Amino acid sequence: MRWLSNLRWRLRAIFRRSEMNRELDEEMAFHLEMEAKKNLASGLEPQEARRRAHASFGGKDSQRELVRASWGVGMVDVTLWDLRQSVRQLRRHPAFTTLATLTLALGIGGTVALFSVVDGVLLRALPFDAEERLLTFWSAQNWRGSEFDYLEERVSVFEGFAAYGQNGNTLRGRDGSTLVTLLEGTATLFDVLGTPAHLGRTFVTGDDQPGAEPVAVLSHGLWSQEFGADPAILGTRIDLGGVSTTVVGVMPEGFYFPTPEFRLWVPLVRDPDDQNYQGNGWLELIGRVRADVAPSQLETELVSMTTALGERFDYPDAWDKTKGAYFTPLREHLLGDVRPAVLLLLGSVALVLLMACANVTALTLTRTCDRSGELAVRSALGAGRVRLARQLLTESLTLGLLAGAVGMALAVGLFDLLVASLPLQGGFQETLSLDWTTFAVALALSLAVGGVVSAIPIRGLLAGRLEGALGGARGQGGDAAPDGRMQGALVVAEVLLAVMLVTGATLLVRSVSHLQSLDSGIDPEGVLVLDVLAEQTMDDASLRAFHEQVVEQGAALPGVQAAGLINRLPIRDGGWQGPVGVEDRPDLRDERRPNSMWRTVSPGYFQAMGIEIVQGRAFDDRDGPDAMPTAMVSRSFAATMWPGQDPIGKRVGDRISGTESVTVVGVAEEVRMYGLVGPNTMAMYRPKAQLAPASGNVLVLRTDIEPTALAAQARGLIRRLSSGVAIDRITSMQAVVADAMVEPLRIRFLLSLFALLGLVLGTVGVYGVVSYSVTRRKAEFGIRMALGAQPAVLLREVVQGGIVPVVGGILGGIVASIIFAGALASFLFGVERTDPASFALAGLVLLGAGALAAAIPGYRASRTDPVEALRGE
Amino acid sequence: MGSRKPDMIKGTLDMLILKVVSLEPIHGWGISERIQQISEDELQVNQGSLYASLHRLTRQGWLKSEWRVTDNNRRARYYLITRAGQRRLGTELQHWARLAGAVERIVEAN
Repeated sequence: MRWLSNLRWRLRAIFRRSEMNRELDEEMAFHLEMEAKKNLASGLEPQEARRRAHASFGGKDSQRELVRASWGVGMVDVTLWDLRQSVRQLRRHPAFTTLATLTLALGIGGTVALFSVVDGVLLRALPFDAEERLLTFWSAQNWRGSEFDYLEERVSVFEGFAAYGQNGNTLRGRDGSTLVTLLEGTATLFDVLGTPAHLGRTFVTGDDQPGAEPVAVLSHGLWSQEFGADPAILGTRIDLGGVSTTVVGVMPEGFYFPTPEFRLWVPLVRDPDDQNYQGNGWLELIGRVRADVAPSQLETELVSMTTALGERFDYPDAWDKTKGAYFTPLREHLLGDVRPAVLLLLGSVALVLLMACANVTALTLTRTCDRSGELAVRSALGAGRVRLARQLLTESLTLGLLAGAVGMALAVGLFDLLVASLPLQGGFQETLSLDWTTFAVALALSLAVGGVVSAIPIRGLLAGRLEGALGGARGQGGDAAPDGRMQGALVVAEVLLAVMLVTGATLLVRSVSHLQSLDSGIDPEGVLVLDVLAEQTMDDASLRAFHEQVVEQGAALPGVQAAGLINRLPIRDGGWQGPVGVEDRPDLRDERRPNSMWRTVSPGYFQAMGIEIVQGRAFDDRDGPDAMPTAMVSRSFAATMWPGQDPIGKRVGDRISGTESVTVVGVAEEVRMYGLVGPNTMAMYRPKAQLAPASGNVLVLRTDIEPTALAAQARGLIRRLSSGVAIDRITSMQAVVADAMVEPLRIRFLLSLFALLGLVLGTVGVYGVVSYSVTRRKAEFGIRMALGAQPAVLLREVVQGGIVPVVGGILGGIVASIIFAGALASFLFGVERTDPASFALAGLVLLGAGALAAAIPGYRASRTDPVEALRGE
Repeated sequence: MGSRKPDMIKGTLDMLILKVVSLEPIHGWGISERIQQISEDELQVNQGSLYASLHRLTRQGWLKSEWRVTDNNRRARYYLITRAGQRRLGTELQHWARLAGAVERIVEAN
């Protein structure tokens, strides 16, 4: 227990110092009194007795110091003294302190906030048991129910195998507008994931058989938000797309699969009679590898699985699933898309932090030289170099902590804003928050920053390099030369980092403008779109009447030029695709049928969306319910199915509506079905009048006014027509297009912001260094002016001196950008990652900023008044 | 400070203090008096060093201290030896005996 008494003593010496001192004084006073009493007893006069007692005791203050030194808190005392001194120093130079703190705070705050995003998205464990044993079996075409059932009987290295897919089914919330994205999974899904239910149960064997009682499992969030976290939810029925479904379980908090945006899971019923079972692929497969399986066995398994598929199914060359299939670790499958964006941003903000450090280092170096007087005095008074270095370090650490505190406040205050502007999809935003690790990182960063910014000045101090500055009088030229070199190196580093940031931002800006100039096949300007979702209970006749009325009266709204309906919105929705039968192509039968998007539209749709009809005609009154079944196809459909032939009059089989033969009457311009880049699937359009009405559609209104200004009127119209129709996602088509570019747009935004910060920091850095050297050389300039030097010569000299390290930094920055451009590659579109124009632009911007930053002090140098400069000596 | 008086060998002050305190609870002045008396004025203790030693020994847990009232009704800090201090004193005395023996042997050598 001796260490405990030791600790208690030391703590008391730190925190109860005055009490300890009082006790010591009392102890010493008692000693003196006893000594005096003894002397008195030996016959001395009282005064003499006291005098001798004091004399034998020695100097009271020095004795007291001697005792205090035994309290074991010397280090603490020195540190506290340094700390007080630091605070005093920082307060005495508010301009330096404010600039340095804000600079570092921006870097620390940004880095910390993005680190917590990385932590939340990439580092935190996925909510599944032993996630490293979860693999997805991937194919670009996705899988069909028949393929899953076939494979499930043949897999050997997996202890569990499951399929899941998104069918686009949605749960209407109680307020009528909340749509819940749901996932269909085989009965084995939750066993494979290894996550038990929080309440009730997950799926059990048989849940996914045809005819099974429909059940659903809720996410914790959905249960809390929509059902008030009521445990009685188990066994109750909810309406899922018109199907009354029993809630059997609630998943634990924090569980998500495959992304947080999915909040409801239902069994994936595989009915061999359903054309979807044989038809198109929409499933993803996941398996849990047995613990004893070696990686080499996985390769064997992959070969045997694809071989088996090839034996059973006949794949056309265009989508041979035996070739493009492979295993991917689940983490990579789920988060692979998110990782590069988040890491890129963290890397960029770390560059800003590095720049801030370089800037503050230069400032500190400058200030250390400026404090030569103070440091020289303290050195003369006996403070060793190590002692002075310690003082510098304490000051920098104090600065770092101050900046860390401000940075943390920034991170807390702006975190929601940052998260909202992150290019994250799939609902990951909602899982992010700042927690104690963030604070720990902020603290560590602050200390590291404090250490880093003082490292170079301290090195100079210990190596005696500042000795000249310390010893010499202030303002004398020459002695600053060695530090000048160090500051030049800092400028090179800063400019290098700034060039990297500016190059990255420029590449993205160019990339986004390429994306924006892409032809998506539609004319989004002035188009308002809204989802109209009728209740499942509405009968076909009234649904059809509603659709006809909403188009007719929508077109009559003031400012509206055209109105149309479509089942799935281009660019945004995707989905609804399947194999089509194509007449005249006997080579594409059965399982070799090509995949096509299936879109049902009202006649006004093409005009409302601004889609050009390239051949034949658009749907009109001739395509009524009793007329000959007709279709329109996309340009790529016509070109690939009937190359060199006239598509008009050709026949295709519409397997989704079950119409064996429909006649092509027109060809529409190619429209982006999903996203803006990548391969586009060909499309077939059918007139709504010839099909059973679907409950969910998108209303498209073309206006000659600002489209969103029409939202209220469109809402009012639909409410007037039917009370059983919900409205969702009212937005402009331009916003839909922008949404498809959300990732590059947001990365462009954040990266431009960081680049701007970098540019400012770099400029300030160059300015600071040049300005400082000008101040130090004031006397020299004064003499040269007095001797008749031209102001222009001095200006040129200063600017040249300042620009040399900038040029070095630009060259280094371009090399570094080429090396690190790979990080950007996946976000670039239509721009080479070594795009010379972007590099040149970044270089020129930095050169201009550097020249400007050097010109201001240069101008001051050229205006030096010789008399004043020399008088200052 | 009598320059004729021998210097305290480094480290012996702690041992002397532990020894004196082990006899009975005692205050700082008492300790310095005791050392002087017993050594017949051969050893004199610097007061600063005395209190520094006392505080360090207390911090290290060999001694503990409490405020008591003296016979003359004065408040004074008394030092007491702890169990750990007793053990410490034992080893220090052993060391001392060995050291003294060795020094004696060298001095007596001929």
